[in-house]
Amino acid sequence: MDQTTNTKNILKIEGIYKAFPGVQALSDVHIELRESEVHAVCGENGAGKSTLMKIITGVHKPDEGTILLQGDPLKVKDPNDAYSKGIAIIYQESSLFPDLTVLENMFMGHEIEKPLLPFFKKASMIDYPAMRKKARAIFNRLGMDLDLDTKITNLGVATKQMVEIAKALSLDSRILILDEPTAALTSKEVDTLFETIKRISGEGVSMLYISHRLDEIFQIADRVTVLRDGQYINTEDVVNVTKPQLVSWMVGRDLDNLYPKEQAEISDVILDVRGMSQEGVIENIGFTLKRGEILGISGLAGAGRTEMAQALCGLRQADSGTIYLNGEEVRIHDYRDALDHGIAYISEDRQKYSLVEPMSVKVNITHKVQDRISNALGIIDEDKENEITETYMNQLDIKAPDGEFIAENLSGGNQQKLSVAKSLAVEPQILILDEPTRGVDVGAKSEIHRIISRLAKAGKSIILISSDLPEILGMSDRVIIIKQGSVVGELMRNELSQEKILEKAL
Amino acid sequence: MQKRNWMTRELVLIIIVVAFMLFLSVSTNFSSRSGIYSFMLDVSPTIVAAIALAMVIFTGNIDISAGTISGFVAYTAGSLAKSGMPLWIFLPAGMLIGMLLAGLNGFITVKFKVPSIVVTLAMNMVHIGFYATFLPQSGWIENLGTNFTWFGRGRFFELIPYTFVGAIAVAILFMFIMKYTKFGMSLYAVGGNRRSAVYSGINPDRTVMKVFLVEGLLLGISAVMKATTRSEVMPSVFVGRELFFIAAALVGGVSIFGGVGKIVGALFGAMLVYLLSIAMIYLGFQDYYQFAIQGGIILIAVYITVIDVEKMKKTFRRKKRHVITTGEGE
Repeated sequence: MDQTTNTKNILKIEGIYKAFPGVQALSDVHIELRESEVHAVCGENGAGKSTLMKIITGVHKPDEGTILLQGDPLKVKDPNDAYSKGIAIIYQESSLFPDLTVLENMFMGHEIEKPLLPFFKKASMIDYPAMRKKARAIFNRLGMDLDLDTKITNLGVATKQMVEIAKALSLDSRILILDEPTAALTSKEVDTLFETIKRISGEGVSMLYISHRLDEIFQIADRVTVLRDGQYINTEDVVNVTKPQLVSWMVGRDLDNLYPKEQAEISDVILDVRGMSQEGVIENIGFTLKRGEILGISGLAGAGRTEMAQALCGLRQADSGTIYLNGEEVRIHDYRDALDHGIAYISEDRQKYSLVEPMSVKVNITHKVQDRISNALGIIDEDKENEITETYMNQLDIKAPDGEFIAENLSGGNQQKLSVAKSLAVEPQILILDEPTRGVDVGAKSEIHRIISRLAKAGKSIILISSDLPEILGMSDRVIIIKQGSVVGELMRNELSQEKILEKAL
Repeated sequence: MQKRNWMTRELVLIIIVVAFMLFLSVSTNFSSRSGIYSFMLDVSPTIVAAIALAMVIFTGNIDISAGTISGFVAYTAGSLAKSGMPLWIFLPAGMLIGMLLAGLNGFITVKFKVPSIVVTLAMNMVHIGFYATFLPQSGWIENLGTNFTWFGRGRFFELIPYTFVGAIAVAILFMFIMKYTKFGMSLYAVGGNRRSAVYSGINPDRTVMKVFLVEGLLLGISAVMKATTRSEVMPSVFVGRELFFIAAALVGGVSIFGGVGKIVGALFGAMLVYLLSIAMIYLGFQDYYQFAIQGGIILIAVYITVIDVEKMKKTFRRKKRHVITTGEGE
């Protein structure tokens, strides 16, 4: 690594301080980004990564500190200004315009123009042929072939991301910030993305790579900087660190066991599903679930795991299948039926399906149980409402000042805990958790695991759907593996291994 | 690929408009000289105003006061013409009044962060109140001379109204503007994804302000086109006309949520809305029914042009993808 220490710094961030009302978001943070380097920045949610990136791209102004771009002090007014200075950021959520074409998106705001008339230079019009030529050259550089006239809405997540990268390159960006770029990608798409990253870093583009997924950091990054609670912790060459070391820097304590699964008493069968099918989606799915058990559902994304859960909860109409609850056959037509039978489902997409984000924590926790806490006229008993809110806020350790706090201002981990709280408030016997730790940081993740464990111990039955194999391995008493809509295997806790699951799932 | 792009909602709309014209030609005297003339005459102001509203709706805004703004324009043009001013004075003056009033809407929307639907709804009421209170005889001007009406009543080859040629020219100009200028692209950006627009270096506030000014200018043209067909002016006849303008844009496939739509859609949307009202008259429905039936048909038309095409596209796409994958396999 001696030769890399000699390479030039393209971006030097020194002594950055930033405070928001009530929070010191960043204090004395420094990062040096070298030319052609992929520099990972990691830390838990709330560690200050996003704030730092927003300072670099001009969304926020630092209270103190300097940023040097190739030795010159950098002052950015806004993200567009950052863009024009060669710094581009690619956000988690797409910032493309869905109803416009690839070409229009790539050049939005910086269209190439030519004079409208040869003799009248003042009026100009957009020069589509020139833009097309440039776009083709960029996609060639990225090693991909894309119809420039396709609308963005017709593209998959991975291709959209490529368009964003292409857009950044069309501005001759020298620094690219990637914020959790793999969050929604399949493993094959991740490989393609990494190839692209390597290709463009080889061409002299430097990258700041933000990710929760530690494995990826080892795969793609040259160096890694860890932030914790707004403080700079360490920067190290990736080859010189181990994963446990990185985790301990991030959380500030050694997590010898990421998944604190406690032994729960597993008793009689509570749920028995037989022959559940929906044409083209799931086929003849059958399984049982016992009281106090955590049943892991594994399989590739798109194998039908979520669809199975939705069919079970009446969120999707199955063509056939019987459900026995405590030995009795029950019919579940819609989600209300499922709730009445004590089955609650927590969606993987908490923003979309679970939380009412602009409302308070209190409303979110109690809105499914309004019937229970209101009188005959439908007027809600405020005392009961507060009582329930307090109970679950304490039980799940939701970090909000009070019940009136607005849900969308919570961190990702706390939002996830809130959606669990919301489902627990209906006092279900069976809780179906779909990707409960997606997009939450390491600390919140182990906290959610602890909660799941505790629920099982309290006699609830849990169905845990997850793409995160270590999570499945750590948490489940038993695992069923789903492939192309069917159950292809079942493994008990003592016979679980990553290889065995993958063997069946692939 | 090229084939798929042809199957747009605008094309479906054009087919519907043509089919409707054929239907009217067969069942009524629509295709007579006077039928075609009066269609072109009536539809012209609506085309221009529908384009104005479409532009505003592209940015995710709306103007409920477009009708009453047109009333002010007509009054201004009328009173200038009454004192003997020619078109080249009262038309720009009308455009200026349109820009002032629509610009005020835009200014309040942008400056005070009030949704444009609230601003323009309130302004609509303010305008109506203003007509009644401050305009002499509520703005009623009569016995206007040919210096006023020559524009609205003039026609080429005894058939094509000047105003229709003007409306088509406006449509072509704005089709060009939407595709070939930064301003045009920025409207889609602001309406499609405001945050992304900011990150693309577009100032949404300035864009919204600009689009209201352009809207006002077009409303100025539209209202003068409409007013000059008659020798008297009454601002209150414009009250409520914004519903037709908005309906025309929506029928034309402009998304009420912003970011989606085409000028050509607004053009043919205006025609369809107009054909519907003509059809009602030809088919002899009473006034009372006309509005209700028209509203219903507009709903159906929006459904056909927007919802169904999306469905059709999806099935089309699925087939297409299939073709692509087999193509790769070979």
